[in-house]
Amino acid sequence: MDVSNEMLALFSIICMFGLFCTGFPISYTMIFSGLLFGFLGIGKLVFHLLTIQFWQVMSDPVMVAIPFFLFMGYLLEGAGLMTRLFRSFQLLFARLPGSLYATISLTGTIFAAATGIVGSSVNLLCIMAEPAMRRSGYDVRMGAGCIAAAGTLGILIPPSIMLIVLGPIVGVPITDLFTAAILPGLLLSSLYIAYSLIKCAIWPKYGPPLPPEERPTNMLEVVQGLLIGALPLAVLIFATLGSILCGLATPTEGAACGSFGALVLVIAYGKFTWKSLAKALHSTILLSSMILIMIASCNFFGAVFSRLGGAVALSNFLLGLDMAPMLILALICTIIFFMGWAMEWVPIVLILVPLLIPVIDSLHFDKLWFCLVVAVTLQTSWLSPPVALSCYFIKGSIPHWTLSDIYKGMFQFIACQLVGLVLIIIFPAIVTWLPKVMKE
Amino acid sequence: MSDCAEHAPAAEQALAQVPPLPRKIVAGIDRLNEWVGKVNSWLVIPMVFAMMYEVVMRNVFTAPSIWALDVVMILYAIHFMLGSPFCLQTGNHIRTDFFYHSWSVKTKAMVDLLNYIIFFFPAHIIFLDISVAYAWKSFIQNEVSVTSPWMPIIWPAKMALPICVALTLVQGVSEVIKCWYRWKTNEQLWNNEQLGEATD
Repeated sequence: MDVSNEMLALFSIICMFGLFCTGFPISYTMIFSGLLFGFLGIGKLVFHLLTIQFWQVMSDPVMVAIPFFLFMGYLLEGAGLMTRLFRSFQLLFARLPGSLYATISLTGTIFAAATGIVGSSVNLLCIMAEPAMRRSGYDVRMGAGCIAAAGTLGILIPPSIMLIVLGPIVGVPITDLFTAAILPGLLLSSLYIAYSLIKCAIWPKYGPPLPPEERPTNMLEVVQGLLIGALPLAVLIFATLGSILCGLATPTEGAACGSFGALVLVIAYGKFTWKSLAKALHSTILLSSMILIMIASCNFFGAVFSRLGGAVALSNFLLGLDMAPMLILALICTIIFFMGWAMEWVPIVLILVPLLIPVIDSLHFDKLWFCLVVAVTLQTSWLSPPVALSCYFIKGSIPHWTLSDIYKGMFQFIACQLVGLVLIIIFPAIVTWLPKVMKE
Repeated sequence: MSDCAEHAPAAEQALAQVPPLPRKIVAGIDRLNEWVGKVNSWLVIPMVFAMMYEVVMRNVFTAPSIWALDVVMILYAIHFMLGSPFCLQTGNHIRTDFFYHSWSVKTKAMVDLLNYIIFFFPAHIIFLDISVAYAWKSFIQNEVSVTSPWMPIIWPAKMALPICVALTLVQGVSEVIKCWYRWKTNEQLWNNEQLGEATD
């Protein structure tokens, strides 16, 4: 048979996407296509690649941060700490028109800095925000959009699990990536807040100030609420992220300290039960197994694919199109955006990004900047109808909100996302400035 | 969830028609892998404490340990590898449900059944063969980690690979039986996918 290896690489991709469509677990699809086409192309070498790629993930000291951060997130999530946080912000802003939107965005941002799991905070935000919104006569559409946007910030704001996965693929240190993601994350979150506050200041019907019974009776109550509710969590986040960003601890060590701190917090708030601990542990093992097994299988497939010469062929093809670099970037973003409809971030990051690395290299894009563009695009994709992940989370938590209302709300915040994305693309300094300062 | 509750009585009736032997096999395999997964999930706790010990010793007492990171690494490898079959059982190995979610129970069952038999088993039997050889070589050489000053034996972590693949294969048998009877009865039998709350 004289089929060239590049053709085999092409076939392997086709076979893989074909199997994806049948809904077969993605990790097993990768192992199968890698083994079959790898064996046809490079013979028995493929068997070594399989064990080597798995062992690499099993012995990667950075990946250990994934179960730690997941554990930390699930502990905090199950402990009702977010309710406290939400309540204190709500009291703080009660007199402001559109206060609940600001509360939702801020709570989402802080929780994104504590968990790094995408979507988990969407449910919690819904449960907390919906009763208050109903009592105060808030606009359902804007509320849904705001919850979806703020709840998906977890992908961007460190410690994001996605950045931990993305870092080794692109070849940038996780610490740099975490530092780089801070400003874009805050930029987006302030865009949401600015948009909703300005809109409510002009048309108060979208978000009237809270009714008197929802307001704090005196400032002392607010301060107390913030001290008990938000401060310990903030300290935990700053200690975890701070020690990582300042280089005192590796991401893995920081994550372990964060888990420990979260455990202490949960016990201190009197929320500790063995049952909730076991539940957090079960969720942790299920999600970390899924992510890590998929990393290993995708690395294996990627290794086979580039061994067959597929990566070079693909990048030659993309570069051969002779388009302006910005046009290629726009094309990449569009592909990622549409893939975000059909898949979760894990396969997108693991399958698509490695294929694009040679292209990124030859176009001399800044890698940190590219990673953040990918992350913001993915987050936008979750907000975009018709197949928005966060939309299903919201619908699941608040069944009486209609899908069309949720969609209409999301569009408003997609506009915010696009403004943020364009700002990041035009001013790469938003991404690169902080890591540069931190290094000096 | 509400969907399952409605179908529960019909599914239970259909389950009663399944012969006892396959039912026992499924129950046994599922219990085994659930137990392995849940026991393993506790490994995170010693991992956290070992890592904490290292951080405190190094930063407070400037006496870094030589063993902490190695212990964490070995536990970590075992932790996520042995969680994988449990993940398969609870439907947490994500799939592209773009088309899948709109299919009927019967179609889903048939497609899954074919996928398991044509793709999953051959690939995993080969994988088992390779990984057993891989871990066995490490075991008889009593391989130690050369990147660490403590030089711990590394084969317990490597053993996790063939064990994971073997348990995944065993879980595959259970899944195939489930698919077969789902196809036959047109009911969502053994709906234990709802157990996994961890679909982020």
